[in-house]
Amino acid sequence: MSATPTNSPALAVHVRGVSKTFGTGETAVTALNGVDFTARQGELLMIVGPSGCGKTTLLSVIAGTLNFDCGELDVFGSPLHRLKPREITEFRKRHVGFIFQAFNLIPTLTCIENICVPLLIGGVSRRVAERKALALLDEVGLGARGHERPTNLSGGQQQRIAIARALVHEPRLIICDEPTSALDKDTGAHIMDLLRTAARNPNRCVIVVTHDSRVFKYADRLTEMEDGRVQRVHDQGGNYDLSE
Amino acid sequence: MYHLALKMLLGDRAKYLMLVGGLTFATMLMTQQCGVFFGLLKWTTSHLSNMRAKLWVVDRKVEQANELKALRDTDVNRVRTVPGVAWAVPVYVTVQSAKLADGNFKPVMLVGLDNATLIGQPPVLLRGKLESVRLPNSVIVDELAVRRLSSGRAKPLDLGDTFELNDKEARIVGICRADKHFFGYPYVYSTYTQALQFAPKQRKMLSLILAEPAPGWSLDDAAAAIEAATGMKAYTEEKFFWATIWWYFKNTGIPIAFISTIALGFIVGMVISGQTFYAFVHENLRHLGALKAMGASNGLLVRMLLLQAFIVGFIGYGLGALLVVGFGRTAVARGEPPFMFPWQLPVATFCLVMSICALSAVLGIRKVVKIEPAIVFRG
Repeated sequence: MSATPTNSPALAVHVRGVSKTFGTGETAVTALNGVDFTARQGELLMIVGPSGCGKTTLLSVIAGTLNFDCGELDVFGSPLHRLKPREITEFRKRHVGFIFQAFNLIPTLTCIENICVPLLIGGVSRRVAERKALALLDEVGLGARGHERPTNLSGGQQQRIAIARALVHEPRLIICDEPTSALDKDTGAHIMDLLRTAARNPNRCVIVVTHDSRVFKYADRLTEMEDGRVQRVHDQGGNYDLSE
Repeated sequence: MYHLALKMLLGDRAKYLMLVGGLTFATMLMTQQCGVFFGLLKWTTSHLSNMRAKLWVVDRKVEQANELKALRDTDVNRVRTVPGVAWAVPVYVTVQSAKLADGNFKPVMLVGLDNATLIGQPPVLLRGKLESVRLPNSVIVDELAVRRLSSGRAKPLDLGDTFELNDKEARIVGICRADKHFFGYPYVYSTYTQALQFAPKQRKMLSLILAEPAPGWSLDDAAAAIEAATGMKAYTEEKFFWATIWWYFKNTGIPIAFISTIALGFIVGMVISGQTFYAFVHENLRHLGALKAMGASNGLLVRMLLLQAFIVGFIGYGLGALLVVGFGRTAVARGEPPFMFPWQLPVATFCLVMSICALSAVLGIRKVVKIEPAIVFRG
């Protein structure tokens, strides 16, 4: 089975009846309970819900970083449930970009080197990788800070570096785990602007897991989860009423 | 990715220095102790290197070069008559007491050489003439003897100076360089006849016989012929060398002491570098997990860790070896402590240090291979 996506319709991610249980016996915890879920190409989709509802588990499954017990998962036409571990690793390397709450930048490397990482993992030469990284740095507004270490930057600047790292190899799926939780309102807004711009690419899909209600307005669609299931999908943009 | 792996390693300055320091220490301890051990073993065979002969004939019960049992004077002629022997000469070797100018006494190794041929002469004569040793009461002393026996004098002993050897006056006619004896005794050479006059009288005075096989005879065949004809023990130089070395291995605690220290060096290196490298991997686990999530295979991460481990191994080994070479140069120049640095030693130490690095890396590799990339999503 090839790890290369096929030409698919507008669906970027299609999850069908996916379940995931951690542990066994009395201590078993069902994190996902027959989840059905879709994300479209060219959209920024948010997954929201209370702590422990399974949204990060769902994100891990969609990203191909966590095996699931049953169900099916297609990402840009590639059936991840049928791929071997090595093929899934290859898929992630080519097609998935990651943005984490804690940034996960390597503190001993410079910003440029951090951004280069996905390209270098993909076998791109150091020179080409650094050229692309510099271009991305300019796009996120940190062109002058490339040779500094991430620890010298503010939280917002570090997250912009992380976004550059997530975009540098031009992945089709961007996975964001609480990208604004550690940031103030203005910085969070700037980060969401960058992600929204990234999602405007019609061949790309940005999935954001967040608790941060300040950024809900950036979502094209918003998926609410509870008890390991998708409860509701809000299709309208702008203000969402999640009070129920 | 490999240059980034190195930057990750070098960026954590404290752990990097700890790793390099641990491996430098381990290299130094293992190599230096082995060097001193080999040097000490070589000192046990100093008679062989200082007298140099192809065949060594001794009492049948003698097992090593430093425990000689006296032979009868007539035994030299018995060896000379054995077919296969080109020549044989008597040698007298015992520890005697030299009196210093300040009244103290120092033991010296007195070697009495065959009067006619002076076979067994000092390896390197620095000053004086070899033949002068035939003059009455004459001796040739080594550099160590000059240092040791000059105690209490206004200036060091020199050619023409005298000292007391067993209450008899000995005049220095030559200064030589000789390998030091295992017990640290200086070598004092004289003729066989004069050595017997310096030494207290005993019923049997001949210590050993040096011989050479006749043309057409192999060393082993000549030695076997001597043993068959005389009942004495005839060693080839190489066999006597190894018999002496093994005797010290089997009959003294020296090897155990050194092997314990060498093992300690390995264990300390292993513990320091293993623990530090494991801590390094553990602290970077989240970043390694992120790399895995981004598509880095286990193979790539393993290669990165091995590169990091072996790079610190190379650097630690290099620094440790340099320090040992410095120590060795000083030791050789001073003549003590014993030191010997055969090429096999740095090669063996290199292999040991690399095995430490490999074992250290394995601890980290196990952890990295097991982590799930989803770890990066956990808080």
